[in-house]
Amino acid sequence: MTLSNVKTDSEPAQESSRPKPAEQRSGPWSALLGSSALRSTTFYVACAVIALALIFALLTSGNFLSTPNLQSIGRNSAGLMLLAVGLAFVLGAGHIDLSVGSTLVLASVVSAKVTVALSGSGGAGWAITIGAICGVLTGAGMGLLNGVLVTRLRINSFVVTLGTMGVGIGLAQVITNGSNVIGLPTVIQRNFGVANWFSIPLPLLLALVVSLIGAGVLTQTAFGRHTLATGSSETGSRRAGVKVDRTTIGVFLMAGTAAGLAGFLDITRFGTTAISGHETTMLQALSAVIIGGTSLFGGRASVLGAMIATFISTVLLAGFVMIGVSSFYQRIAIGVVLIIAVWVDRVRQARANTT
Amino acid sequence: MIATDETPLLRARGLKKSFGHLEALREGNLIVNRREVVAIVGDNGAGKSTFISCIAGAIKPDAGEVFLNGNPLELGSIHAAMRAGIATVYQDLAMAPDLSVAENIFLSTEIRRRGIAGRLGLIDHKAMRARASALMDELGITTLGDVTATAGSLSGGQRQVVAVARAVSRAGELIILDEPTAALGAKQSQIVLDTIHAMRERGFGVVLISHDLPRVLDIADRIVVMRFGRVVAEVAPKGQTVRHIVSLMLGEQSAAEESAGS
Ligand SMILES: Nc1ncnc2c1ncn2[C@@H]1O[C@H](COP(=O)(O)OP(=O)(O)OP(=O)(O)O)[C@@H](O)[C@H]1O
Ligand SMILES: [Mg+2]
Repeated sequence: MTLSNVKTDSEPAQESSRPKPAEQRSGPWSALLGSSALRSTTFYVACAVIALALIFALLTSGNFLSTPNLQSIGRNSAGLMLLAVGLAFVLGAGHIDLSVGSTLVLASVVSAKVTVALSGSGGAGWAITIGAICGVLTGAGMGLLNGVLVTRLRINSFVVTLGTMGVGIGLAQVITNGSNVIGLPTVIQRNFGVANWFSIPLPLLLALVVSLIGAGVLTQTAFGRHTLATGSSETGSRRAGVKVDRTTIGVFLMAGTAAGLAGFLDITRFGTTAISGHETTMLQALSAVIIGGTSLFGGRASVLGAMIATFISTVLLAGFVMIGVSSFYQRIAIGVVLIIAVWVDRVRQARANTT
Repeated sequence: MIATDETPLLRARGLKKSFGHLEALREGNLIVNRREVVAIVGDNGAGKSTFISCIAGAIKPDAGEVFLNGNPLELGSIHAAMRAGIATVYQDLAMAPDLSVAENIFLSTEIRRRGIAGRLGLIDHKAMRARASALMDELGITTLGDVTATAGSLSGGQRQVVAVARAVSRAGELIILDEPTAALGAKQSQIVLDTIHAMRERGFGVVLISHDLPRVLDIADRIVVMRFGRVVAEVAPKGQTVRHIVSLMLGEQSAAEESAGS
C-alpha cells in the first residue's frame, strides 16, 4: 500500500533520520545474549563470579584456583545449571516452578532404581542408558503435569508447583521407602560422573551444551519469543495469535525435562541418590535465574545470565568450605544476593516503565 | 450458503454475551460489505468491544453466529478468525510490552529463516526488523523512532500506531479497529484514517469503533448505534448531525420518536 500522498514535503528528511534497525554485530555470542540490558547484567554477573573466585584465591593463597577444586565446582554446578535454564523459561513466561528440586530427586530415584534393576541382567552401559532415559522421562512427565494443571485448571503456577513439589518428593520416598538407592554400577561414576574431557568435567560439559541450546531456543526461535510474549502480556499475546497454552505447557515441560536430566547427573556424581540432599536446590537455582537477569514478573529472561549466575552459589560454597567458614553461611549469602537481585530487577523495571 | 455478489463479507447474527449477571451484549447484528467502512458508536459500556471481540474470536459468545463470505466462522477461536482474514486492533492494543516493535508486529507470524534453520523454528530477526521498518514507511508513520525499541517504552499513541500497522499487515479481508485513534495526535490520526480509506479502496471491509463522531460522519459508509448491549439503530452518515447520533446513543431520540408515534 502506498500512502505517499499523506507525507508532506518536509518528511523525506525525517525518514532518513530514523535510525535503521541496528546492524548489530551478530556473532553467535551476542545473538545468544539478547537485549543490551541483559547483556550488561550477564557481564556484571560474570564479573561477580570472577571477583568471588579471586577473593577466595587470595584467602587460600591460590589453592582455590587449583584444577581439582575448579573441577569440583564445575561438577557441583552442572545439575544446578540445568535447573536454572529450565526455570529461566518458566519465569520468562510469567510462571514459577517450585517443584524442580523435587522432580530432580524423583528422577534420580527412578533413574537409580531402573539402573540397579537392569544392571544385574545385562551390561552396565545398557542399564545406565535406560536408567538415564527413564530419569529424563520422569522429569518430562512432572513438567507436563505442571503445565497441564496450570493451563487446563487455570490454577496459579505457584500453587500447582507447590503441590507437585510435595507429590514429587513424596513419590521418591514411597518408591525407596525413604532410604537412598545403593548398588549402582561403579562405572557410572568412573566413566561419567567424575570423568573429564580435556579437564572439563563431563557432567558440566553436558549441562553447558544443553544450556547453550536452551539459550538458542530462547533468543532465536518463535517458541522463545512466544515464551517472553506470554510472560509480558498473556491476554495481549493470545489476541496477537500466540498459542499461549501450548507455550506454557512447553516451558514447564522443558523445566521438568531439565530437572530429570539433572536427577540423572546427581546419581553419577556419588554413585547413589541424595533424597534429602536437595532441600535448597530449587532456591539456589531460582536465585541464579533471577540474579542472571530474568524477571520474576515475566517477559524478560536470560539463559546465559542464569548459567553464569549458577556459579555464584557453587563458588561461595566451595570457598566457604576452603576457608573454614560454616557452609550455613552460604545459604545466608545466597539469600542476601537474591534479595538484592530482585531489588535491582524492580529498580530496572521501574526505570524501563518511566522512559 | 453459496457466496454470491450479494453475499456480504461479514454477517453477524444474534450474538449474545453475558459476564456473570451483566448482559454486556444482548443482540449483536452486523453486516459489512466489501469496500465498506462501518462505524460502531455507542456510549461507554454499550458493548462495542464485547461485540467485535466475539467476531474476532477473542470472546466466545453465548449465542449467535458469524458468517464470512457466507461461510460459518468457528466462534471463540482467534486463530479461526485470523485464518479467515480478519485482523483486529483491540482497544487494549494486545502488545507484549517487553518485546520490540518488530517482534510485536510479527508476534505469532514470525518470519522464519531459510532452509533447515527455519524448519528448526529459527526466526530471521533481521528480516523482521527490515520489514517492520518498511511497513512504517509505507503507512507514512513518522512518530516512531526505531523498530527495535520495546513496545513498553513507547507512548500510548506510538503503541496504537504499531497496533494499527500490525493489523493492516495481517488483514486478509476484514479489518476491525477498536478506537484506533483514541490516543493519537492530529497528524497520526489522519494517517490512520487515510489508511482506513486506502484499505476500503483496496476492497477490504472495515469496522471502526470510535467516539470521534465528526470523524465517523466523515469516513463511515454506515453507522451502527449500540445502546445497552443492543444494536438500536443504523444510519447513513449523509445529512446526519453529531447531535442526532448522540441522541440515538443515549436513547433520547427514540424515546421522543416513540412518544411522538403513540
Ligand atoms: N471481561 C469482562 N468481565 C466482566 N465484565 C466485562 C468484561 N468485559 C466487558 N465487561 C462489561 O461489559 C460491558 C460492555 O463493555 P464493553 O467493553 O463492550 O463496552 P464498550 O462499548 O466497548 O465501552 P467503551 O466505549 O468504554 O470502550 C461493560 O459494562 C463492561 O464493564
Ligand atoms: Mg470498548
